[in-house]
Amino acid sequence: MLKDILDSFKRELGEKIIEARIEEKVKGEKRLWLVVRKDSFKRVVKHLFLAYPNTRFAVASGYDADTHITLIYHFFVSLEGKAGDASVNIKVDVPKNNPVLPTITDIVPGALISERELQEMLGVKIKDIPDPRRIFLSNDFPKGIYPWRRDEYGPERIVRDLHRGDKE
Amino acid sequence: MKKIADTGNEQNSFTFCVGPVHPALKEPLQFTFKIEGERVKKVDFMLSHVHRGIEWMGTRRNPIQIIYLAERICGICNISHPFAFCRAVESVAGIEVPPRAEYIRTINAELERIHSHLLWAGIAAHELGFDSVLHYILKARERVLDIIEYITGNRITKGIMMIGGVRRDISKKQYRKIIEAMEYYKKQVKKISDILLKDHVVKARTINTGILSKADAIKLCAVGPTARASGVKRDVRQDEPYAAYKYLDVEAITPATIGKETRGDVYDRTLVRLAEIRQSVNIIVECLKSMPEGKIAYEDKIPKLLAELKSVEGEGIGRHEAPRGEVLHYIKLIGNETLFSWKVRAPTYANLLSWVPMLLGAQIADIPIIAASTDPCLSCTNRAVITKHGKHVVIDHEALHELSVKKTLALRKVKHD
Amino acid sequence: MIVIAKELVKQLLKKPFTNLFPAKYAPKSIKQFLRDAKEGKVKLNPPVVVPPNFRGKIEYDEKKCIRCKLCTRVCPAKALEYVEKENIIKYHLFRCAFCGQCVDVCPTGALKLTKEFLLAGYKKD
Repeated sequence: MLKDILDSFKRELGEKIIEARIEEKVKGEKRLWLVVRKDSFKRVVKHLFLAYPNTRFAVASGYDADTHITLIYHFFVSLEGKAGDASVNIKVDVPKNNPVLPTITDIVPGALISERELQEMLGVKIKDIPDPRRIFLSNDFPKGIYPWRRDEYGPERIVRDLHRGDKE
Repeated sequence: MKKIADTGNEQNSFTFCVGPVHPALKEPLQFTFKIEGERVKKVDFMLSHVHRGIEWMGTRRNPIQIIYLAERICGICNISHPFAFCRAVESVAGIEVPPRAEYIRTINAELERIHSHLLWAGIAAHELGFDSVLHYILKARERVLDIIEYITGNRITKGIMMIGGVRRDISKKQYRKIIEAMEYYKKQVKKISDILLKDHVVKARTINTGILSKADAIKLCAVGPTARASGVKRDVRQDEPYAAYKYLDVEAITPATIGKETRGDVYDRTLVRLAEIRQSVNIIVECLKSMPEGKIAYEDKIPKLLAELKSVEGEGIGRHEAPRGEVLHYIKLIGNETLFSWKVRAPTYANLLSWVPMLLGAQIADIPIIAASTDPCLSCTNRAVITKHGKHVVIDHEALHELSVKKTLALRKVKHD
Repeated sequence: MIVIAKELVKQLLKKPFTNLFPAKYAPKSIKQFLRDAKEGKVKLNPPVVVPPNFRGKIEYDEKKCIRCKLCTRVCPAKALEYVEKENIIKYHLFRCAFCGQCVDVCPTGALKLTKEFLLAGYKKD
């Protein structure tokens, strides 16, 4: 089933996909990893939902890779009944000097919480998000510090190591 | 209640906060409701009271230490997080788990499902005002906790998962005790189902309350019994069989599979959870019968395992069906002793947005039971603040629970008249 | 209603389910009470039975330890610390999570799990 999904992507959006691979390191667990460009990200997601209406959005994760930030959106495509789930993961890179990405809540409303989390944890700006408030960090957490980053915006300076004893 | 007419006039509506600490929820969560008369018109919630920075802590530890860190993310879904994490690491490193270890992992996961659903049933009964049922169910739950302690050494933080297998074996002498406990539970689940599902007051309070339609469940990506009670057949054990589920045939339970009508309300969620306890008991008995002999871990020597994981590179995803829904862990290793990136997605994360359609139009006295019916993995206590035209009135934390109990008593009187 | 009423009446006729304290009422002087119990004047309720392989406090045997420091690498709570000056492993009881991973890793068996779990105290060090 993953092979069909990959073929349908290649047919419709051939040149927009930078890299695609199907991995199966453990028997029975197949995963499809796609790398797409920032500008064609929304088109790719729209095609996925149009071609396979039973797609479910799971979560969006991301990490800091020096000059850019990589975001990964995890989807699961299912067919009704016992045919199983297929795991489709879409990776997109945004540069650090302009970290903007369009929202996908008009296609799948359940992605709201993940997008709010990406905004506060990595400093990514999601365009046209319906609700830009913080979700997992409290309001008195300092602005400008992004916990998942590893550069000068990271949380290193507000960390307190409790296991070194309470000598405060 | 008839005096305050529902005219839609802004002056008649006031804002009502529940939380951040409240007896209906098990963790801090703040709801803000806009109420007209007794009905809820708008719902909003705010999390962020217990952010512990666990994903950041993971970037300073090696994979074996993270198993124990993942165990302490949640006290009730205690095996689910290490299970999904170990699956993710095994998927990156290409490690095959021996069959006996798969069966032992499955038995522990199903024991956890039994204890979590029983705890939920007790708390739901408490929200409705049936305290004696709460104590009866907690007494019934002690037996499964004793079995867990007998197998793993501790009641809650089990510490039995290891990358590539498990840490302890189940010897033949221990089988008899487990099977006796399962016989006990077959009878108990029948009694508890009769108490909770056939009572006419419980039915009056839970039928047609907090409805989540099938279209909403799909649109908002709900998981677990919350989605299954609305008719969506979604279960990781059925969609991507893993561990011993590959050899058994597990089907997702919706009200249609038990032969009842699907409405997507609180009653259906109770029905689905009690049916899942029965399913778990059958799975455990089946596993004990067909467990093969063999090794219980891919690699017994821990320093060798650590050295092997140090040189692995790649990304992986691990999933598991926890009692509340689907747990997903994503990790990325770059050939270092510590992890590079770790993302945890607990099932309540995906069920948060489904609170909004469930609570619209509900009465205030129903808020505790509706919020608790999705089994949120959070915890609490506190007071509610009602603001009315600028004046603050502080109500004690008992008040909301009392409102819920009063409604039950009122309904009971109506039925007897 | 009838089902639950039958169950509740049955519970009235059974023994209490909770574990009992050593004595039914708190004694006026604990030392005197313990002396009486030793002589056989008073009967104590037995303590809660702990199953075999229970994970309690860690016991460290200094003579068997070869200072390989594997336990410090594996402990998730950093409760075992190698002190350079005295060449010994220090065990911080209040950070320990009782997972038993150090016991599994130790090549000579210098660490063991005991059955003690009543470990409350007043100071953190």
